[in-house]
Amino acid sequence: MKVTFPHMGNAWIVIQTLLECLNVDYVTPPPNSKETLNIGTQLAPESACLPLKLNLGNFVQGAALGADTALITGGVGPCRFGYYGELEKQILQEAGYDFDVITLEPPDGSILGLLQRIRKLAGPKNNWRKITQALLFAYRKSVALDRIENTFHGYRPLVPDSNRVDQLYDEARMNLLQAMSEQGITEVLNWLSDKIQEEKVCSYGENYRDKKNTLRVGVVGEIYTVLEPYVSMEIEKELGNLGVLVDRSIYLSGWVGQHVFRGLAQGYKPIKPYYSLAKPYLNHFVGGHAMETVGAAVKYAQEGYDGLVQLLPLGCMPEIVAASILPKVQEDYGIPIMTLTVDEHTGKAGVLTRVEAFVDLLERSRIYKDHKEGVLELAGR
Amino acid sequence: MRLGLPRALTYYDYYPFWAGFFYKLGIQLHTSPQTNRTIMEDGLKKAPDETCLPVKILVGHLLALQDQDVDGIFLPRLVSMEKNTYLCPKILGLPESVLYAIPREVKVYTVDINWRKGKGLVLKNLYQFGEEIQRTKRQIREAFVEAQRWQKAYQRMRNGGWSFEESMECFEVLAEPVKLEKLGFIGNLPFTEDMDLQIKEKKSNPKIALVGHSYLAYENYANLNLLQHLKKKAEVKVVENVPSGFIEEKHGELPKKMFWSHAKKIYGAGAKYVESQEIDGLIYLSCFGCGTDSMTNDMLARKAREQQKPYLVLTLDEHTGEAGLITRIEAFLDMLERRKAHESYISPYGKRLDRYSNIT
Repeated sequence: MKVTFPHMGNAWIVIQTLLECLNVDYVTPPPNSKETLNIGTQLAPESACLPLKLNLGNFVQGAALGADTALITGGVGPCRFGYYGELEKQILQEAGYDFDVITLEPPDGSILGLLQRIRKLAGPKNNWRKITQALLFAYRKSVALDRIENTFHGYRPLVPDSNRVDQLYDEARMNLLQAMSEQGITEVLNWLSDKIQEEKVCSYGENYRDKKNTLRVGVVGEIYTVLEPYVSMEIEKELGNLGVLVDRSIYLSGWVGQHVFRGLAQGYKPIKPYYSLAKPYLNHFVGGHAMETVGAAVKYAQEGYDGLVQLLPLGCMPEIVAASILPKVQEDYGIPIMTLTVDEHTGKAGVLTRVEAFVDLLERSRIYKDHKEGVLELAGR
Repeated sequence: MRLGLPRALTYYDYYPFWAGFFYKLGIQLHTSPQTNRTIMEDGLKKAPDETCLPVKILVGHLLALQDQDVDGIFLPRLVSMEKNTYLCPKILGLPESVLYAIPREVKVYTVDINWRKGKGLVLKNLYQFGEEIQRTKRQIREAFVEAQRWQKAYQRMRNGGWSFEESMECFEVLAEPVKLEKLGFIGNLPFTEDMDLQIKEKKSNPKIALVGHSYLAYENYANLNLLQHLKKKAEVKVVENVPSGFIEEKHGELPKKMFWSHAKKIYGAGAKYVESQEIDGLIYLSCFGCGTDSMTNDMLARKAREQQKPYLVLTLDEHTGEAGLITRIEAFLDMLERRKAHESYISPYGKRLDRYSNIT
């Protein structure tokens, strides 16, 4: 058995850690690329959502490296992601890849079934104590990873040299990947904060921008699109390079805490507070991250952010519901919201132009406070 | 009191329930007119642009209801209609996701219907709704029993082979007394013996199954009268003709159960038709942007390939040209006929020798 798994931003670091702790034979598929998408679009149904297509591409590319088992989480709806495991299995088998898909979810609500699946993944050698420890360690690593990502969201807009930031980011991720103990994780986090402090003073000095004057933009939306830079066209990075302080509504560990650990662990940036904030606008859970998106939009609006970007893959059912409610948030709080739908298109320039124009509008509305209404008419819908 | 109900989306499955419910409560339920060009165009203009065709049509109907003489619009949120399933997220997002399309002064009544946690929660939500419309718990309970009776009667009619129009007519006439006066008849049973004869005469026609969401299959304006066109040339079976026992059986064969009740119904009925020797071919009716169909359709198409059953996918959008649709149906029906005439001559295109080889 050689396990492979789908990509979702930096999630591979966490999954790789988990599998390594359990001593499972695994292969990490190459990062998402145009080729991944091409494979996926050939196999997947035409109107399926984008993550399914990339998942299939990941599995096929993993198979080329010797994988024969795919690992994915599940759900019981009503978002389509819950049915990915079953559909992907059927598609791969028809395409001639004899994949075994392990869906980490309680089948028909049976916890025993979930334990059997974990046992199948972990093999007979691991005892339950070791499995629990591995899960907890992977979870802590994901919290650290989210902390690193958030640090860079705050750091990038303040410095003039974006290439250096990219280097530092890669270095931090690689260091974290190699940290296999609690102490190791703490060391990586300390090293990063020291490094940033040092560069602030030594390399940039005068050029270091003031945090007070930066625009603040919140990024909300469907988790895969937000986390995966290939899909979002690295929108967080581009916003940062434009001098915008980005805050993301949803992180991997928050999602894992809420959906896998059933709220027992809150993760970095808990998503629970979003639900009550979303209530006045969307009174019922509709699946996916619609409530989180609406709730986060309200939160950012209340905190006085300059603007919001909503990201969704074409045809995402819950996010379409959220997208049709966000204009109301925009109206009530006077915060410009831009909805950006991503599909198989890979031209980055178009997205960049839109993002630049959005940031220009936000900057302008800061200068001419009275003109804010003009911005609202242009942005958003 | 007079409430308006849009003739869209969940109307096509659960109208009898609401008809019975409000009939018993003594509230008039007024349904918006059949979809027409104005309704469709208004909907397209006002609805969120990325949502699916049925929701856009729903918005059109909501706008059409404004001009009617009603005290408010009734738009329930149907979360789940049976255990362990949901309806699609876009239906769960109603009414909030379409509210901003209609003027604020229009009163919208809503109630959550969620059968996931059993009858208790459904009744609890209905009681709350009852307070809003000044009805006592006792009245609501009686109305609920009546509503379920009507819904069951409707399901029996459909399983018994009545067409959608025939059975819906009965309930509309009962629930809208105005209509009763206009039509001048009371509950005349439309299913007669000469209809049986007609079917017998057409024995030589191919038998096909039309699977897809009820709100597309019976939405005659959006689907360009598909059912009527098909009935001229073929004997048509629909999802609702399959008793729920068979649906459960076919759906039970899946390793993981589907969690959308519509998709489950469509898959179960479709799988039954694919395996049935009587049915010559399947038509899957979908619409652009339907999330659940992208999965159900893929799974049914795979099953049809395995069983070598002719399978046609029709995707509806805002297009209104009938000719393209008719050409495709005719080609499909011609293919079915030829397949019968030249039984052993089957194109080997797209067929794999076994699932381990890549030679196609």
